[in-house]
Amino acid sequence: MSKQETIEYSVPVGDSVAQTTCYMCACRCGIKVHLKDGKLRYIEGNRAHPVNRGVLCAKGSAGIMNVLSPARLRKPLKRVGERGAGEFEEIEWEEALSIITARLAKIRANDPKQFAFFTGRDQSQSLTGYFAQMFGTLNFAAHGGFCTVNMAAAGLYSVGGAFWEFGEPDWEHAKIFLLIGVAEDHDSNPIKLGLGRLKERGAKIVAINPVRTGYGAIADEFVAITPGTDGLFVLALVHCLLEEGAIDTEFLIRHTNAHYLVIDAPGTAEDGLFARDESGAPLCLDRADHQIKPASTLGADPALLGSVTLPDGRAARPAFALLAARYSDAAYAPEAVAARCGVPAATIRRLAAELAEIAFNQPVTLNVPWMDTSGRRHETMQGRPVAIHAMRGISAHSNGFQTCRAIHMLQMLLGAVDTPGSWRYKSPYPKPIPAGPAPGGKAFLENGALAGLPLGFPAGPQDLLVDDNGEALRLDRAFSWEAPLGVHGMMHMSIAEAHKQDRYPIDTLMVYMANVAWNSAMNPGEAMRMLTDKNADGSYRIPFFILADAFFSETVPYADIVLPDTTYLERYDCISLLDRPIGSAHGPADAIRIPVLKPDRDVRPFQDVLIDIAGRLKLPNFTDEDGAPLYASYADYMVRHQRKPGIGPLAGFRGADGQAIGKGEVNGDQLKRYIENGSFWRHHLPDEQLYFKHSNQAYLSTAKAMGLIDKDEPITLHLYCEILQTFRLAAQGHGAHQPPERLRARLEAVMDPLPIWYEPIEATMVNRQEYPLHALTQRPMAMYHSWGSQNAWLRQIMSENRLYMNRETAGALGIADEDWVVVESRNGALTCQARLMEGLNPNSVWTWNAIGKRSGAWTLDQKAPESERGFLLNHLISEYLPADESGHRASNSDPVTGQAAWFDLTVRVRKASAAEAGQTAPHPGTVHAPFAVHNPENLRYGAKMEAAE
Amino acid sequence: MKPAASVLLLTTLTGFGYGLLAWLALFALLGLLPASRWFMPVGVVVALGFAASGLIASMLHLGRPERAWRAFSQWRSSWLSREGVASLASFPPALGFAALWWGMGPAPVTVIVGLVAGALGLVTVYCTAMIYASLKPIRQWNNKHTAPNYMLLALFSGAMLMALLLACWTGQAGLAGLLVLLAGLLAAAAKLAYWRFIDTQKPLATLASATGLTRYGEVRPLDAPHFTENYVLREMGYQIARKHAARLRRITIATAFLLPSLLALLAGLGLVPALLIILATLLTAMGLFIERWLFFAEATHVATLYYGR
Amino acid sequence: MTSLPTPDPGAKKLGLVIDLDTCVGCHACAVNCKEWNTGGHAAPLPDYDPYGKEPDGVWFNRIHSYEAGCGEASRTVNFPRSCLHCENPQCVTVCPTGASYKRVEDGIVLVDMDKCIGCKLCSWACPYGAREFDELAGVMKKCTLCIDRIYNETLPAEEREPACVATCPSRARHFGDFNDPESKVSKLVAQRGGVELMPELGYKPVNRYLPPRQAQIQTAPRERAAEGGNKLLRLLDKVLSR
Ligand SMILES: Nc1nc2c(c(=O)[nH]1)N[C@H]1C(S)=C(S)[C@@H](COP(=O)(O)OP(=O)(O)OC[C@H]3O[C@@H](n4cnc5c(=O)[nH]c(N)nc54)[C@H](O)[C@@H]3O)O[C@H]1N2
Ligand SMILES: Nc1nc2c(c(=O)[nH]1)N[C@H]1C(S)=C(S)[C@@H](COP(=O)(O)OP(=O)(O)OC[C@H]3O[C@@H](n4cnc5c(=O)[nH]c(N)nc54)[C@H](O)[C@@H]3O)O[C@H]1N2
Ligand code: SF4
Ligand code: SF4
Ligand code: SF4
Ligand code: SF4
Ligand code: SF4
Ligand SMILES: [Mo]
Repeated sequence: MSKQETIEYSVPVGDSVAQTTCYMCACRCGIKVHLKDGKLRYIEGNRAHPVNRGVLCAKGSAGIMNVLSPARLRKPLKRVGERGAGEFEEIEWEEALSIITARLAKIRANDPKQFAFFTGRDQSQSLTGYFAQMFGTLNFAAHGGFCTVNMAAAGLYSVGGAFWEFGEPDWEHAKIFLLIGVAEDHDSNPIKLGLGRLKERGAKIVAINPVRTGYGAIADEFVAITPGTDGLFVLALVHCLLEEGAIDTEFLIRHTNAHYLVIDAPGTAEDGLFARDESGAPLCLDRADHQIKPASTLGADPALLGSVTLPDGRAARPAFALLAARYSDAAYAPEAVAARCGVPAATIRRLAAELAEIAFNQPVTLNVPWMDTSGRRHETMQGRPVAIHAMRGISAHSNGFQTCRAIHMLQMLLGAVDTPGSWRYKSPYPKPIPAGPAPGGKAFLENGALAGLPLGFPAGPQDLLVDDNGEALRLDRAFSWEAPLGVHGMMHMSIAEAHKQDRYPIDTLMVYMANVAWNSAMNPGEAMRMLTDKNADGSYRIPFFILADAFFSETVPYADIVLPDTTYLERYDCISLLDRPIGSAHGPADAIRIPVLKPDRDVRPFQDVLIDIAGRLKLPNFTDEDGAPLYASYADYMVRHQRKPGIGPLAGFRGADGQAIGKGEVNGDQLKRYIENGSFWRHHLPDEQLYFKHSNQAYLSTAKAMGLIDKDEPITLHLYCEILQTFRLAAQGHGAHQPPERLRARLEAVMDPLPIWYEPIEATMVNRQEYPLHALTQRPMAMYHSWGSQNAWLRQIMSENRLYMNRETAGALGIADEDWVVVESRNGALTCQARLMEGLNPNSVWTWNAIGKRSGAWTLDQKAPESERGFLLNHLISEYLPADESGHRASNSDPVTGQAAWFDLTVRVRKASAAEAGQTAPHPGTVHAPFAVHNPENLRYGAKMEAAE
Repeated sequence: MKPAASVLLLTTLTGFGYGLLAWLALFALLGLLPASRWFMPVGVVVALGFAASGLIASMLHLGRPERAWRAFSQWRSSWLSREGVASLASFPPALGFAALWWGMGPAPVTVIVGLVAGALGLVTVYCTAMIYASLKPIRQWNNKHTAPNYMLLALFSGAMLMALLLACWTGQAGLAGLLVLLAGLLAAAAKLAYWRFIDTQKPLATLASATGLTRYGEVRPLDAPHFTENYVLREMGYQIARKHAARLRRITIATAFLLPSLLALLAGLGLVPALLIILATLLTAMGLFIERWLFFAEATHVATLYYGR
Repeated sequence: MTSLPTPDPGAKKLGLVIDLDTCVGCHACAVNCKEWNTGGHAAPLPDYDPYGKEPDGVWFNRIHSYEAGCGEASRTVNFPRSCLHCENPQCVTVCPTGASYKRVEDGIVLVDMDKCIGCKLCSWACPYGAREFDELAGVMKKCTLCIDRIYNETLPAEEREPACVATCPSRARHFGDFNDPESKVSKLVAQRGGVELMPELGYKPVNRYLPPRQAQIQTAPRERAAEGGNKLLRLLDKVLSR
């Protein structure tokens, strides 16, 4: 026997460590980056960080390979060949910036809206939106419009918060958790940490999803719902709860507008609005003295049912009475919806019973005294431990806004909003409804800036951005009658509408961090066609296209100027409360990213570049009175910019001494303090402020002091959405602001103040006999959209994708595992391979999102599996619906919010012929990187570090 | 299991070589060798040549051949190590056998040294067999047939070489021809028994027991960790279609055993012995190579259960 | 060291518990393992054709997903697979060089990469497919149980756990001493009926897997909703008597 080897255990991980924020996805986990001899040695989760508490996902763990990707852009590029041909010349930054500045200066002087600025997966929307505002263009949108805006809007207009990134389940106390249409989400690590915690505590997890993978795999119950029918399913749950009387009436009266009297005067301009007194206060009927009084009257015992005659003689009914009447109808009985939802009636009834059991027989009580906004002291916090989280399974359907409203209604009926055990607000939410000022776009300041930020929150038809004919002012038609609550814009329409030019031409389209010619195109073939389409005179239909990206994506070949960005370890970034912060139910938080490595290429952080351009254009608030730039860099802006007095991009360590939180003077040492603190700041709310935030006096006062909200008044939840009714009244012909005729009927239907369910729109316009299957995508946990494939480690996990089919459904079509199949929709056909599974709704097929790559993109081999056997479902989708009788093609989006309806797609599948098999189609040709590609044959990352020991 | 050329060469060539060595010793003992001073040494050189080229081929298969010497250290537990030790140990007596024969002819000491060499050769073959026979994750190897199979095949292929040497030397295959016939039929029978055995064997484990999910019903793979092939799949995932295997089995029986046996019989009866034996040897070599290829190709490794193979 | 050591009476038996009831199949453990180990004791973990047609590489931990059962009763199970640090590992006894060994003090199965000749026999002897060959260095590599983390005194005590355990976002992985009945891993195995993989092969794997569970909520039997009937009236009753 030879001797056991001796191993040196205590090798220091590296020689230095930096704490910053991950950006392998939008979750924004805290990381510790270990360097050895100036090279990345190891990236690990920061155990002190509030988001990930030390854990790191697959993507985060593969950061090294992104930073070393051969697909990184190296130098600014100017197109020299035809668009799409990928012929570029490398230019100096100065040249790139002067070309852009000259062009934008001219646009700004003539017609600023001809500059359209769309930003994707970045986390700098408070800067980019502000840039657009100062430039004076309303044509700005961030990625929310194709992402999850209908859920954000439904939440913000219902409960003053939202699922998405604005709320989270109470992982510590929930006893039943409904996970509706979620595969991964932005809260990637927090959700996994939370699920682990629920499991530890033995809580029941119910996955409502056509597909059982990932989170669904560990759910205690899997409800294989038919896509697009969640609204019906939830309303059937509501029906059962009403039947049982399992309703938290106390919660409804204290926290929602359930008892507000709704005017019942059909045909009049006030029908469906709240009855109000002279001061505008909504009214209720006190059951004790049968008096009509302001709904907020302390000590009143408001009626929830019945009907009253108002002093002016009109009839009115409490909002809840309307609700009860609607959903107790047999049309919402489980038996009536079961077949359509693909969920047995008995399952719906049992789940409703379980919700009622947990909410009402097993409440959670915390011994924490608190004071509500009416000055009542409560000795305990009692909550309904029913938690819900929902995401794109709801939002990517055209009925998502109303479905999400239905889910929030369910929460309110159960009293399960921000109570112990339920869904909770993440700071800075809750916000009042509507959550902010109306969108800017019509009014300008003298300096040329828009009077308000381009994205905002309409409170009624008066806030829409439409012309006198009711037609959209914005390029993408957000905030028009076609998408009245399009609060994040409609980025998915930007190329199509810029190409269409039916209202006004666009001169320059600037896109930052979105792969718009590929996976964020609703139809990539169309996007590529429109980007290369020319006018009769040979000029491009979309005259100028600027792209800011860090990598050689599928979109790069279509740009006129490419601005090469840094990677996430090479720049400052700001995860701001003004944007999409990292706050949790425990309190507000924000974070920064710091440069850990020096770029080895001629690249610049895009935010620095944007601030530079703003300076060159002498934009207000980016330059002083003399036109000199105010900010040297983004880092400088992060510290010194103030949106309102005392409020800047970063909320922590403000004030001269760095002690102020939320609001406070500029602190020159702020970044240093952040870095010392692990590149984040958080404020942990005291226990008494942790729940009932919408009516928790101490919390609301604190939030106001920190500048999170303007007023510390109670935030009433909108069980009944009066704002929607104002749009509906307009559709019925009332009021000064009128929609175009073609939209009246649709608006009247969808702007219902109480949740409704309707068929996903596309399904009503195609022949379902012809296209019987729903086609969906899911986020793979180990890939981020299109960027993962350049990552040498991540692509080994998923270099191809399959079309997953239900075993029986496939069997009936004669399709076996791994067979090549042809998938057809109203928009086209694609070829791919099938994989059969059991845990899948029989009427649905699905695939992983954004795995398919264009041949040659991301500097992968031309014959890489990503392009040979990978495919993009988007080839079957379209940004437009089929034409209606008048020939008009509406956007394939949620009619309330403009949310892209990715998952409304229906298809048919057949086995491919031998000739069709072998390579996925469509296969739109190979692209070539505009720089010399040096792909190593093998990687031995870490080998040197070993040798150095 | 992937049939790697180096391993196929190792196992077949050492079989030929050590088989021959064993027969040389036995023939010496029985005094059946031509009374030539040279025949024996040439025979030993041929035997060692086969064995050595097999061993060298196997070195090619190592990731770090320069460290091959380390493989002699673990003879207490490792059959691979034992194989190395035994084969190395067989060389001095074998060379001694040749030298003594050259010097002293079939003296008792020569015969004793020869028997030692022959025995060590067979021990080497046995060790080789046990490398495979001891591997629990591979049911087609880990059974009572593997070692006898290897031994019989070595004796058969050695007899074939013996017959070849004799035929070339004396123009007569003689007794060796008969030996070939006998060993060939025996080996064929053993091989057939082996195939019968592996065809009726129950799998070692199921995906359910491999994943510990036995109580949840049949377990099917949904997604593998990676799309492209990896080491485990390349090394152990090789699989051959049943139809293909059946055909190759027939070819093996015919080329490795039946035809050569028949040819040896004819040669033994005096029909152009040298020519027929050369032909028979070539056929045997080819047949045994296919046999060995099948031995790998038909072997399945439990680890591939995880990949649904 | 190829022969198995007789463990000291008080020796540790280190290994992992993997909770199949909690694993969401995110591959975090696999990638973090790769990241740690490519610069650690077993460095590097090479990648072949990393941007090409057949990307492949050395991983000490790989995540499968399976479906079990049919129809309503079926379930999806994510299944991480790495070395189980068997008590009776043939991967060790077959090794001709002594490169493969089981440690006396804690039972960790390791490869001494300076001794390994790359004969691959140990990988044939492992039923779990846990051994990984470094084609470029010509030596065998495998999960080290993060030996350079768990004993690394330059790390704070709470960080001395395997990379895959530290990073697992759903906390489905646990590390500890199976010889200590009071350890978390021993308790989990006892409480949750931790299972051995392929016990029939007799390798006595140390790592254990916790089987999937199914939480249920008991509800009191409820009266079936009256067909027709004025449901609203019943509701009214309840609302009024709040
Ligand atoms: N079929 C289908 N399509 C979908 C979806 C779906 O579910 N199904 N989901 C939709 C949704 S929700 C979204 S959010 C979109 C996402 O779609 P995209 O916004 O297109 O997302 P990515 O693929 O992440 O592309 C972002 C771009 O950012 C670049 N990038 C990465 N890092 C940096 C950096 O540091 N700086 C800069 N400047 N650029 C960088 C990448 O190279 C890439 O080109 O996809 C949508 N498309
Ligand atoms: N790893 C990783 N994480 C990511 C991303 C990524 O690309 N990779 N992208 C980020 C982005 S931009 C976003 S927007 C979020 C999105 O996060 P998710 O909301 O988790 O996004 P999807 O993967 O689109 O998940 C949609 C889920 O809904 C299901 N579904 C589809 N239709 C229906 C339906 O009608 N009803 C129900 N109940 N379910 C349905 C699908 O099967 C799928 O499981 O993820 C973010 N996080
Ligand atoms: S979830 Fe993963 S990729 Fe996203 S920020 Fe966190 S560690 Fe990074
Ligand atoms: S799992 Fe395989 S490699 Fe690990 S100890 Fe067991 S037999 Fe050896
Ligand atoms: S490959 Fe290395 S560790 Fe494995 S058995 Fe051979 S010498 Fe031992
Ligand atoms: S213990 Fe370490 S080496 Fe083993 S799988 Fe986990 S991370 Fe990888
Ligand atoms: S990190 Fe945890 S949840 Fe993810 S695959 Fe590994 S064990 Fe499963
Ligand atoms: Mo998104």
